Amino acid sequence: MGGSAEGRIRLTILGGFLGSGKTTWLRHQLHTGAYAHSVIMVNEAAETPVDDALLGRSERLVVLAGGCCCCTGRDRLVEELRRLCDERSRDGAAAARFDGIVLETSGLADPAAIVEAIRSDPVLIHHIVVAEIVVTVDALHGLAELRGEPLGRRQIEAATRLVVTKTDAAEPAGIARLLATLKTLNPSAPIEATARGSEIALPDLPPVEAEDLPDLAGAPSAPIFPIRIELGGDVDWTAFTVWLSALLHARGDDVMRAKGVVRTPAGRLLLQSVRKVVQRPEILPPQEDREDDTIVLIGRGYTEEQIRASLDYFVRAGRR
Amino acid sequence: MCASCGFPAAPGHWTEAGAAEPHDRLRSRFRRSEVLRAVLPSYGLSAHDGGVVPGIQLSSLTGGETIVRNLEDLWVAAERMCGRPVDPLDPRFTGSA
Repeated sequence: MGGSAEGRIRLTILGGFLGSGKTTWLRHQLHTGAYAHSVIMVNEAAETPVDDALLGRSERLVVLAGGCCCCTGRDRLVEELRRLCDERSRDGAAAARFDGIVLETSGLADPAAIVEAIRSDPVLIHHIVVAEIVVTVDALHGLAELRGEPLGRRQIEAATRLVVTKTDAAEPAGIARLLATLKTLNPSAPIEATARGSEIALPDLPPVEAEDLPDLAGAPSAPIFPIRIELGGDVDWTAFTVWLSALLHARGDDVMRAKGVVRTPAGRLLLQSVRKVVQRPEILPPQEDREDDTIVLIGRGYTEEQIRASLDYFVRAGRR
Repeated sequence: MCASCGFPAAPGHWTEAGAAEPHDRLRSRFRRSEVLRAVLPSYGLSAHDGGVVPGIQLSSLTGGETIVRNLEDLWVAAERMCGRPVDPLDPRFTGSA
C-alpha cells in the first residue's frame, strides 16, 4: 500500500508536553480524513485512559495506559509494535488492514527515546520507519515550560514538525516570542499554528527576539507523577470543584494537568485543565462500558497523601 | 477554527457544569456554600449565597465585601482580600505539620 516506505510501516509520533493539545490536533486530523487507515496508538502515563474516548473516528485504536512508553511502558510499546509488524507480514502489505501507525505519546514522553527504542530493536528496525515526529506546543504555556522543563526542550528538539496550539487564546507578542524561541531550539522543523485543532494563519506578529532560556543542566527537578481521584461515592462533584478551583488558583503551576470523565446529572462531562486554565467541559455521549468518575491529576511539588487529605477535608464539609 | 470535531461544551462556568436542571443547580449552590463555610473562616473570610440572585457574596472580618460570579473569581477576590491565596494544601486542611 502507498503508506509504506520500502515496505516498512510508516510511524508518525505525536508528542508534546502535558495538555499541549495532542489529542485535539489528532482528533481534527481524523475528522478531516487524515490517517484514515492508520492504527492509532494512544499512550497515557496514568492508568485511566481518557484520550481514547475522544478519538472515536479512528478505524483502529490501541490504548497503552499505565506507563509512559519512552520509559516505564517501553516494553509494552515494543511488544505492541512487533505485534502489528507480525500482522502485516502475515497478511502481506497489499492486504494489510492498515497503512501506517500514529503513536500519540503521553505528555511526559521524550520522542527521541521512542525513536531509539525502535532503532535498537532487531525486529522493529526492519519493519518500521519513523515518518514524522509532530510535536504540539501550547501557545499559552509553552514558553514557561521551555524555561523550566528540560523535557519540554527535548520534545521540541526531537520534532520534525512543530504545531503551536491554542493560538486563538494567546497574545500576539507571546506567540511571536514563542515562535522565535522554537526556531532557535529547532531551526529545521516547520512550524504551524492551530486553534482547536485546525490550522490557521497567524496575524502579523511583532518582531521579537527569542527568549534566552536558562541553563537547566544539573538543576534539581522533582518527578512529575499522576494521582487518580475517584469521584462518585463519597466525593461529590460540587465539593470537588470547590477544591479543584482553589487548588488550581493556589498551585496551578504544580498541578500541570487534570483530566477525566465524570458522570453528573447534566451528563458525562470531560474535565480538562492545563495549569490554571480549565476548559469548558465537553458533554460526552453516553457510553455504558466506560470506567468514568475518575480524574487524574498530573504534577509535582506535593505528595499524594497531601492531595487526598486536602480533598477529604473539603468533601467532609457539612458532614462532620 | 474547527468546532465540529468535538462534542458540545457545557454552558456556564466549569464548576457549575454538573447541574443542568434548576433544582440540581440550587442544590449544588447550597452544597458549594456548605463547603466554603468550612474553608474560608480560617482565612478571616465568609461567603454567602442565598440561591436567589446570581453570584456569591464574599466578606472579610475587616469589612471588605464583594460579589463574585463564580468560584474562579472567588479565589482571586479571596487572595486580594486576605493577601495570600487560599491553599488547599495548607497544613490546616491536610492535617500535616
